[in-house]
Amino acid sequence: MMTAYVARRLLAAIPVAWGVVTIVFLVIHLTPGDPVEIMLGENATAASRAALRRELGLDRPVALQYLAFLGGAASGDLGRSLYTRKGVFESVMERYPATVELALAAMALAIVIAVPLGVAAAARRGGAVDRGAMALSLLGVSMPSFWLGPMLIIVFSIWLGWFPVSGRGGIESLVLPAVTLGAAMAAILSRLTRSSMIEALGEDFITTARAKGAREAAILFRHALRNALLPVVTVAGLQLGGLLAGAIITETIFAWPGVGRLTIQAIQARDYPLAQGCVLAIALSYVFVNLAVDVLYAAVDPRIRRR
Amino acid sequence: MRARALAALWLALALCGCAAREETAPGTLVIGVEAGPRTLDPRMYTDAAASKAGDLLFNGLLVRDGDGALVPDLAESWEAPSPTRYVFHLRRGVTFHDGRPLTSRDVKATLEWILDPANASPRRSAFETLASIETPDGGTVVCALTEPTSPFISELTQPIVPEGSGPEMAQRPMGTGPFAFVEYRHEERLALRANPHYFEGAPKLRGVVFRIIPDETVRALELERGGIHLLMNPITPDLLPRYRNNSGLRVAARAGTNYSYLGFNLEDPLTGDLAVRRAIAYALDRDSVIAHILKGLATPARGLLAPVNEYHEPDVAVYPHDPARARAILDEAGYRDPDGAGPLPRFTLRYATSQNELRKRIAEVFQWQLAQAGVGLDIRSYEWGAFYDSIREGTFQMFSLTWVGLYDPDIYRHIFHSASLPPEGANRGRFRDGRVDALTELGRHATGQERRRAYSEVQKIVAEKLPYVSLWHGVNVAVMRANVHGFALAPDENLKSLRHVWIAKGE
Repeated sequence: MMTAYVARRLLAAIPVAWGVVTIVFLVIHLTPGDPVEIMLGENATAASRAALRRELGLDRPVALQYLAFLGGAASGDLGRSLYTRKGVFESVMERYPATVELALAAMALAIVIAVPLGVAAAARRGGAVDRGAMALSLLGVSMPSFWLGPMLIIVFSIWLGWFPVSGRGGIESLVLPAVTLGAAMAAILSRLTRSSMIEALGEDFITTARAKGAREAAILFRHALRNALLPVVTVAGLQLGGLLAGAIITETIFAWPGVGRLTIQAIQARDYPLAQGCVLAIALSYVFVNLAVDVLYAAVDPRIRRR
Repeated sequence: MRARALAALWLALALCGCAAREETAPGTLVIGVEAGPRTLDPRMYTDAAASKAGDLLFNGLLVRDGDGALVPDLAESWEAPSPTRYVFHLRRGVTFHDGRPLTSRDVKATLEWILDPANASPRRSAFETLASIETPDGGTVVCALTEPTSPFISELTQPIVPEGSGPEMAQRPMGTGPFAFVEYRHEERLALRANPHYFEGAPKLRGVVFRIIPDETVRALELERGGIHLLMNPITPDLLPRYRNNSGLRVAARAGTNYSYLGFNLEDPLTGDLAVRRAIAYALDRDSVIAHILKGLATPARGLLAPVNEYHEPDVAVYPHDPARARAILDEAGYRDPDGAGPLPRFTLRYATSQNELRKRIAEVFQWQLAQAGVGLDIRSYEWGAFYDSIREGTFQMFSLTWVGLYDPDIYRHIFHSASLPPEGANRGRFRDGRVDALTELGRHATGQERRRAYSEVQKIVAEKLPYVSLWHGVNVAVMRANVHGFALAPDENLKSLRHVWIAKGE
């Protein structure tokens, strides 16, 4: 039954992917700017321009280019980058591990910080811990990554010398970008954990558990948290989808070779096939993460499976 | 269950984290750059990032020395027995990075590849009068031209690649230069190693790494931390005091050849009027922009060619800051100011610029300065591709841009000849002047004093008719760790001097 469900959801991803690539194709071809001009500059002769246009297949009508692209995509061929002439799939896959690594690290960091903080705040509602945690989370959402990133670099790389300034190397190079990216998410998730914990703690089954004489820790973690986690999993999943689209600002600041920067560069250079490939990869990541969240849901909450 | 999920997550992280730690061997110079090369094939590239790497990987027949003069490189000597014939004698004992010796056939193959229309090389127009290339022996190249072409010789800085090189050069370039290609991780890092057999002697460095760091603040911080050794233009002038006050860093500056200007659409009724352009030229206060925004990193320009250029003509019309005169010119031309010194402008011009922060700030200062003459400015900042498109199509009134790599005065034909309208050339403003057409055609064939006189006159006419209002020539800046020695800035920012650079120990 689960398999059928997953298969159905995967099939539903096809029209989504088609819609996304179609919109991207149209938008990028409608945007002013011409890859041949950007590539050759003004010194090129008209003959060179025409030759390059022909070679890249840009001299065909847009409708034909679209059909060729769709046909290729359907058979798994996303074409080649106009500049590097490397396969689009290969180029995206080269960058994907860096994005996944950063997204998972930021996500893990956010959850590790947010869930205990949210639980503690809910347990001592209105107390010093609660107020402190909420002030911290307000700070977390308010700090934009283009500010937080350089600040972290100044403190932890320049003054303390703990981490490299930028680039992707070992695990230590992952810390600052992950904190930059995870800060806002931790803030949102801790607020969410707190409010849904408070709600869960007000339920009848908690009163029952208390009446049965369960320990406070067991009430918090076994009874309340399990129920409070559902919305947290949903939001975290959505945010992870967003992270897998590439964190453009964070990737730019830390010179992190991820998909976000590749997408931006492809668009700036009007590298049509590469931009389309990037967006397709991003859209599919969203679909898969959402699917994974739904499957996880069913694991966390048996009621969903029954429906 | 939760604990297990978390453990799995951390495991995944740890696995990802195993990627090779970025280590650079001692003696390797790391340069921080804004963008990576798009292609490394020197027959194809047009971007600054690629040509910087190309300076290290390749040699041309000729090269520009530290002062911009053409001197022998792969060619030991050359002569021109007639205006349409050039003979080059190759240096002996030069080898490519794979050990193959350089011969005249490699030179011929490189130039012929560029000339083949099927390869769509952007360099092809530079060699359009090249009729044939002969190789009477392995050490001699004879170029025959269809007509006398004076700028031809300056195109021979074109890097030479081995005969039979195909499209793989874009990814794995090979040349004769002081450094050889190791690897390029697209938009991440480009690594080169020293070529011990380099014909002018092995470099002192073990290698050079270009690290691509798009954010300028982070480039600056990397330099302070020592993660990179050297960075060059673009440098935001505001960061300069911070570099200068850091005893671990050294700042080098030298007048450059980049030329910034205001361009006009001459087919527009307003910007097509010479009185309007003259008023704008007088209304702008370049000196205060140079002093306060550019922090002295520019010198006022009189024309495209910098004073270091042998064809530079200093005796041209200049437009010192004079708002009263600007107002008088506009009054006289019939552009009445509706409310005198009040806020209403006589007319408003659309001013296109890129999204570069510095350019936007300069545009705002120009807006204020022109307002003093009663001229309104509607600033539109465009993303680069769209900006370039609108300039080529002529859908602008006024824009600001910078020309880089200007050497041969034949550029005046490319920019101002009436046959150079886009897409044929870069006459984006649609400037038409019979005398300039004739002189730039003459300059293409003439030599010596005759050529010099032709371009002197062209520079005077252009300063008079103002298809461009000259702004400034950039000053090149390099900031390096104090232990980097031997680096010399060139007027065109090339990196040829890296061959002599060494990094002192003890830091």
